[in-house]
Amino acid sequence: MSGAAALRHPAILVVALLYFAAVAAIGVWAMRRTHSARDFFVAGKGIGIVTLAIAAMASTLSGFAFVGGPGLVYATGTGAMFIILSAAITNTMGAWVLARRMRLLGEARGLMTVPDAIGARYRSGLAQGLSAVAILVAVIGYMATNFLALGLVIDAMFATGLSLGIWLAMLVTLSYTATGGILAGVYTDLFEGLVKTAASVTVFYFVLRAGGGMDGISRAITAVDATFLGPWGKMSALSALSLFFVFGLGSLGQPHVAHKFYMLRDPKQLKWYPLLMSAAMALTQLLYVGVGLAMRAKVATGEVAPLARADDATPAFVLGFTPSAVAGLVFAGVIAAGMSTVNSFMNIGAAAITHDLPRAFGRRVGDELRWGRAWTVVLSLAAVLLAQLPGAVVAFLGIFGYGLFAATLVPSLAIGLNWSGATREGAVASIATGLVLTLGLETLAYFKLFSLPAGVTVSGLALVVSLLVFFGVSWITRARAAGQIDTDVRVVMEV
Amino acid sequence: MRARLPLVLLVASCLAVAAAYAAAFRPDGAPSWAAWCIALGSGGMLSSTMALGATRRGRLRPVAVIACVLTFLVVSGAFGAALWMPPAEGADARLLLGLPLRTAIVLYGVGIVPLLFLPLVYAVSFDADTLNDDDIERVRRAAAERKA
Repeated sequence: MSGAAALRHPAILVVALLYFAAVAAIGVWAMRRTHSARDFFVAGKGIGIVTLAIAAMASTLSGFAFVGGPGLVYATGTGAMFIILSAAITNTMGAWVLARRMRLLGEARGLMTVPDAIGARYRSGLAQGLSAVAILVAVIGYMATNFLALGLVIDAMFATGLSLGIWLAMLVTLSYTATGGILAGVYTDLFEGLVKTAASVTVFYFVLRAGGGMDGISRAITAVDATFLGPWGKMSALSALSLFFVFGLGSLGQPHVAHKFYMLRDPKQLKWYPLLMSAAMALTQLLYVGVGLAMRAKVATGEVAPLARADDATPAFVLGFTPSAVAGLVFAGVIAAGMSTVNSFMNIGAAAITHDLPRAFGRRVGDELRWGRAWTVVLSLAAVLLAQLPGAVVAFLGIFGYGLFAATLVPSLAIGLNWSGATREGAVASIATGLVLTLGLETLAYFKLFSLPAGVTVSGLALVVSLLVFFGVSWITRARAAGQIDTDVRVVMEV
Repeated sequence: MRARLPLVLLVASCLAVAAAYAAAFRPDGAPSWAAWCIALGSGGMLSSTMALGATRRGRLRPVAVIACVLTFLVVSGAFGAALWMPPAEGADARLLLGLPLRTAIVLYGVGIVPLLFLPLVYAVSFDADTLNDDDIERVRRAAAERKA
């Protein structure tokens, strides 16, 4: 993205400023309605299903969906689509596996966090505390990478310089998250989700127009590179299918989505969750699918020079092939994507410190609202300082977030809430396995001390091993399973 | 259908994925069957996990069984077809809805077809098979008893 796009295109500046004004207005509105920890962490348990679905979509699709993802499609072809391919299934799967149980558990126990659910399921402070540690580690890395991405976009739009861009991104997101908590987060997510969907659909229209339809795009690409549009793209079948496995099953372990089920006003509205969430996801992923292919087709036909960096695919396409108002909408969408993900992580990170870790040690923090706000600020400062480190270090911190959530939370939370034979010992062992394997293997890989064979990812390996540990240890300790579930939790698991 | 079957299938699918990863550690690289293992294993994991979640009071209703089996067939069938069919993605490739045939089978089959029936099956069967007022009342009663 070449410098100061907004200054060269006034329409981009206007759209971006309107976007920030809307976010600020929502933040002020939410701040006036946040009076308790319940408001701050679970939006007073008063949101509707449309808001829930769009907010969940917005926080699921981070800036990666608008910049990194299209770049990956541009670089590796069809294989990159295996990251989002499972979305047609995962929303219904999530509704059956998690949504109903989480919402009812929240109803029965007044729970506020994902580790709360794990603690209640196994009557275990250790399982709750370990899952909170896993969430905290992943959250800080995720926040740092998203701040870096936001800083890059703000710098490209306003020529602020990267460091100031990162600080500005943090200050804007923090201003509404620390004051309005998740209530501000959810309603800005709703707004940001709508912006992202509008941007994605509009850009896809221009993708088809610029490329001569899907036929034209495919013909242009396959004329010079047959494998790019093969079923696995430039990846091996094992690598592509491994992405499908990790991002499919791993979707059940994403706390920023699972946490939102507590917030739903009426659990019977969950009936429409898969339909709304799937439709929102499908529309918002059009940009991910289309832009990388369109840019590759333009390069194949010689209309555009090969991109210096794959991540330039989205900015190059919107600046080159869409009107500047659409470019403004997309840049707002990119910022929305980053901020909507970060605000969720700020909130669940603060909850892990303020709420989950003290409870793991049998203690309670006196004023969770005040401490929640304070820790939101501390976590944001920590993430911003990390985001100033060299890019490779920041990428290292962010790369394992999704996999760490998956390996630590899918067995204990998603499977455990649906299988009464799971035991506390199985849950603790699987969370510890996921945590140690993910951090250990990623660190060894970062320092080039060890690398996995082609087609095997740390996330995939950690997820499958933690699942097997969960099943194995639960089976060995199966005699204790029945005694570890409280009556009300058992009712939630049965209905 | 009894709840035990989804669990058994889930563990079996997990072992299939683990076998695919283990095979990749061989000095001469992953054999061709490793991709088949992960194709069937990942489809099996999503379907059986969904079935586990759809189970109520130890039983899985027929409509959920059909949805889960169909999902497995669509996912594993699409991946299996792409693995089994010979590559034909050259300049004169036959296109299906704008994509080369094998790619179209995978992207439209896995990425769109489940979208056409899963959310609808969930919504249509919700009141009878997923959550109704009696269930919510039962949970509230259990919570009240615990507090008391």
